Amino acid sequence: MRRVAAGGLANAFAFIGAGGHHAGRDFFGGYCCFNDVCIGIAEVRRCGLAARVAILDTDAHHGEGTRDIVVDDPEVLHVCVCGRAHVSADGLKLDLDVPWGAAAGRNAAYLAAVRAAFPPRCRAFRPDLVVWYFGFDAHAGDYGDLGLTAPCFLGLADLVVTAAAEAARGRLVVVLGGGSRTDLATALIPPIIARLADAAASAPS
Amino acid sequence: MTGVFYHPSFSRRSYLTVGRRLADFPAALEPLLFRPHVSLFESPVASDDLIRLVHDPALILQVAADPL
Repeated sequence: MRRVAAGGLANAFAFIGAGGHHAGRDFFGGYCCFNDVCIGIAEVRRCGLAARVAILDTDAHHGEGTRDIVVDDPEVLHVCVCGRAHVSADGLKLDLDVPWGAAAGRNAAYLAAVRAAFPPRCRAFRPDLVVWYFGFDAHAGDYGDLGLTAPCFLGLADLVVTAAAEAARGRLVVVLGGGSRTDLATALIPPIIARLADAAASAPS
Repeated sequence: MTGVFYHPSFSRRSYLTVGRRLADFPAALEPLLFRPHVSLFESPVASDDLIRLVHDPALILQVAADPL
């Protein structure tokens, strides 16, 4: 996150060894030990590289640890797609519930809900940096199964790349979240990184 | 430039008990690493000082003591 905030990298994909978004200031669980995203934000702030950060969390479950840490932080936009509905008074902390529908329409419904919620808020917020907490546990057949499939995750990648380009000079960090299946990790992660690379290649130097 | 941050330990025991979901990495990244705008970096160890920027110091001890 530091290298992206400093401008040495246009964007980045961060693999992880343990999850992050269920870890709050003084609690942890759900396979998460420490909150990687919030530690990264604290570090770029400490280094004076960025202040305002927009987080999109599309892991299947609520990022209650991240919310615990950023809940009173006016410099963080946190949009969490998690099966519950909530908007804070200042509009910067949003939980998004995507209604279940027919299996064939879930990708489109999920993408439409995220498209309506995140890019407009991101443009208005004008962050220094965008973070996508990308869990593939919501993929059909994984432990957080929401019936989503690969086109949805690749559509989310395009959405966050565009949002970062519009609002944060392209500065985007993708942090891997949940998901357990090796075949899904292998099928989804490389094309997402390819999209980041395409964006980096076309970014003004 | 796109940075990809990875550590071999992630492929041995990724996401704690969930298994070796990253067993195919970093091999699965090889075609991407031929691209001029992609660089692979080894994720560094996060220091306790860095973790304490966010977390209660007691949490570090609790995580260390957890059997997972």
